[in-house]
Amino acid sequence: MKTTDAWRLSAIPYSEMAFKSILQNSSNMWWGSFGKGSSEASGRKDLVKRALRIARFDKFVITAFVIVAAGAPFLPQVLGASYGIAASVTLSLAVSFALVVLYGVQTLSSFVTSGPSPVLSTLPLTRKDVSLVNLLSFVRTSDYLVVGSVACQVFFVLFVTGSALSGLFMLLTGAMNSVMGVGVALWLSSVFYRNILGSKQGKRGGVLRLALLLAWGVVVLAIGVLFAAAGYLIPLVQSVLTSPDALTGSILSLVYPFSLGISVGSVSQGLALSLVERTALEATVGYLLVAVAVSRWSMTSVTSFPEGASMGTGEGRTHDTSIPLHEPVTAYTMKDLRAASANMPSAFLFTLPAFETLVILLIRAYLPTLGASTILVAMILGGMVSLILPLVLVSSEGTGFDFAKTMPLRMRTIIFSKALITTAVFLPAVAVVLAESLLKPLTSPFSILIPLASILAVAAASLLEVRLFLGFAPSGRVTFALQEFARMAAGAGVVLLPAIIYVVAYILTFNHALAAGAMLVVASVEVLAVTELIRQS
Amino acid sequence: MYGSFLALNGLDLRVVPGEIYGLLGPNGAGKTTTLRITAGLIEPTAGSVVVSGFDATKDPLHAKTQIGYVAEIPILYESLTPRELFEFEGSVRALAREPTDRKARQLAEAFEVASAFDTPIATLSMGTKQKVAIIAALIHQPPVLLLDEPLNSLDARSSKILKEILSLHVQRGGAVLFSTHVMEIAQRLCSRIGIISGGKIVAEGDLDQLRARAGEKDATLEEVFMKLTNEASEVENIVRMLRESFFDDEDH
Repeated sequence: MKTTDAWRLSAIPYSEMAFKSILQNSSNMWWGSFGKGSSEASGRKDLVKRALRIARFDKFVITAFVIVAAGAPFLPQVLGASYGIAASVTLSLAVSFALVVLYGVQTLSSFVTSGPSPVLSTLPLTRKDVSLVNLLSFVRTSDYLVVGSVACQVFFVLFVTGSALSGLFMLLTGAMNSVMGVGVALWLSSVFYRNILGSKQGKRGGVLRLALLLAWGVVVLAIGVLFAAAGYLIPLVQSVLTSPDALTGSILSLVYPFSLGISVGSVSQGLALSLVERTALEATVGYLLVAVAVSRWSMTSVTSFPEGASMGTGEGRTHDTSIPLHEPVTAYTMKDLRAASANMPSAFLFTLPAFETLVILLIRAYLPTLGASTILVAMILGGMVSLILPLVLVSSEGTGFDFAKTMPLRMRTIIFSKALITTAVFLPAVAVVLAESLLKPLTSPFSILIPLASILAVAAASLLEVRLFLGFAPSGRVTFALQEFARMAAGAGVVLLPAIIYVVAYILTFNHALAAGAMLVVASVEVLAVTELIRQS
Repeated sequence: MYGSFLALNGLDLRVVPGEIYGLLGPNGAGKTTTLRITAGLIEPTAGSVVVSGFDATKDPLHAKTQIGYVAEIPILYESLTPRELFEFEGSVRALAREPTDRKARQLAEAFEVASAFDTPIATLSMGTKQKVAIIAALIHQPPVLLLDEPLNSLDARSSKILKEILSLHVQRGGAVLFSTHVMEIAQRLCSRIGIISGGKIVAEGDLDQLRARAGEKDATLEEVFMKLTNEASEVENIVRMLRESFFDDEDH
C-alpha cells in the first residue's frame, strides 16, 4: 500500500478513535447535558451526536489555541524588547509540550484501550499495511497541533533573529519537543487507562490514579502560571540564562526545555559560545537521542495495538464476591465519584477550586494582612469553579443513567448526592483560606464567617443547578445551549448574592460583623429555599 | 410517542404470576418501548402500567422495587466494576447484607463472572456485560422480570442456566415479560405469547391459540408469526429474488 493511500485511509480510523474517546469520556461533553424529560436528549443518540460534533471541531479549536500559545512568548521581541530569545523559545516549547500532552491524553484514550480500528484487521490487508494505517491515524491525533505550533515557533524565530540557521534549529527542537509531547501523552494515557480499566483496582492503583491527577493538575496550572506571569518570567529567565553566574545557568542548561531554548538562542549569536550555551547544546544532543527513542517506542506501541499488545485489560482472579452496602445517598455519591474520576480532565476538576483559591492567595501574598476582600474574592472564585461540577457529574452519568432510572430512587437522592460532592469539593478551598488565616492576621475576625456563608451558598447553588440540569431538556440546539447557560448562571447568581449582600452591607455600615452576619443569613435562606423547592418538586 | 411517531397504539396486555409471557414482533413493532415503559425508563404519553398492584406512573418507586430489568443492549455504569455496580444497586434498593452476599456469590458462580468482579464493566466482553446485567436484574429477587432479548450474547451454558432460573422463578409465582426474535426460544420457553405489530397486540395466547388464529394447524411459531404479521408473502418474494439473481451474479 502506498503511503498516500494509507494516509487517506487513516482518516476513517482516526475519526472513529476521536469519536470513541469523546464518547468514552462523556463527562467531557460539557456543552449539552441531559434531563429526564426527553428520551432523545438523555439517550445514546444524543451522546453520539454530540461526540461526533466535538470530534469534528475539537482539533481545530485546540490547534488555534496552541498556535496562539506557542507564539505569545515571542511578543516581547516582536514589540521591540532587546534581550535574546532563549527564554521565549523555552516558554513556547514548554507551553506547546504541555498542550500537546493535555490534548493527547484525552484523544488517545480509545487508542490505548481498544486500538484504532479493529475493523481494519478484518479487511484483506497485510499486517504491515494495517500497522501503517494505524501509525498514520495516530499521527493524525496531533498533526495540526504539531505542525501549527512548530510552524509558529519557526516563523517567530526567523522573524526575530533573521537567521535561517536559527529557524532550522527551531524546526529541529520544535519537532523533538512535539515527539516527546506525543510520547508522554501516549504513555500517560496508557498508564492512566490501564490503571482505570485494568483487571484490578487495588490501593496501589488508587494512589497511582491520584498521582496522575495531580500531575495533570500541575501541568494545567503550570500553563496558567506561565501565561499569567509571562511578561515577568521571560526577562527574568533570560537574565538568569545570560548571567555571569555560571552555576545557575549551567544547571538550567541541562534541564528540558531550557537546553533547547538556550541552544536556539545561541545559534543566532554566532560561534563564540559560552559554557552555558555549550552545555545546552550538548544536552540538546542528548535530548535528541531521547526523542528518537521516544518516537521509536511510540511507533512500536502504536503499531502493535492491532496484534493485541494493547493495554492489558481483562478479567482477574477474584473469588470474593461480597457486596458492601450503604445508605442510598452514600451509594449514589460513591458511584458519582467513581464515574466522574474515570477520566483525567474531569477528575482534576475535583481539585480545581482549592487550586484557584491558592492562586488568589498567592497573588495577594504581598499584603501583610488577610483582608475580607481577599477572602471574599477567593471564596467567590472557588465557588464559581465548584459549580462546574454539577454539569460534569450529570454529564458523566452517560447512558448508565438509564440503569439508575430503573432503581427505586427519588430524584432528590440524586440531587443531594451531586450537591454533596460539589460542596465537598469546595471545602478544600475553604481549608486553604483558613490555613492562610493562621499564617496572617485578619483585618477583621468576623471575616472568618465569609467562608462559612460561602459553603452554604455553594451548597444552595449546587442543589439548584443539579435540580435544573435534571429537571427538563428543551429541544433545539440553540435553546438547549441557552438553557444550559441559564442553569449555570442561576447557580452563579446564588453564589454571588450573599457576597453582594456583604459588600452592600459593609458599604452602608462599615461594620464587618454586620456584613458577615447579613451574608450568613442570606446564604442560609438560600439553602432553605432551594431545599424546599426540591422537596416540593 | 416519540415526537410525532406513535410507538405504541392502544397496546393492552396482562402478565399474570406464574407465567412467562413472550413478546414477539418485527423490528420497530414496539417491544422494547413496552418494556422500557414498564421498567419506568419512559413515561407513556397516555395509558397506564400497573406492576404488582402499583401504578408505575403514579407510584414509580414502589413499582420499581417489584421489577428486574434487562435491556436489549446492557445499560450499566461502564466505568464501575460489577462489584461496585451491585454495591450501588444493593444500597439503593436497601437490600440486606447477608442475603445479598449469598445471592451475588450464587449468581456469580452460576454465570461464571466472579473473576470479573473487580474489572471495569467497559472492558468486559459483551457476553459478560449481559451476564452482569442479568445478575443486576435478579439480585433483589423481584416478582416481575422484564427481559429484552436476554439471551443475546450469552453462551449455551449461561442461556441454559437463565432459562432454568426463569422456570424456577415462575414456579414460585413470579412473572416474566420476555421479548425475543428467536421463535424457537419463545415456543419452548413461553407459556403465552403476544404478537405485537404497529404498536399493538395483534394476537395473543398459547401456541395452539395462535395457530387457530392464523388458521394454520400444526404450523411452527415462525410460520404463525409470519402469517399474523403479514410478512409471509413479502419474505417469499425476497427469497425468490435472492435465489434468482443474487447467487446468479456470483456464477457469472
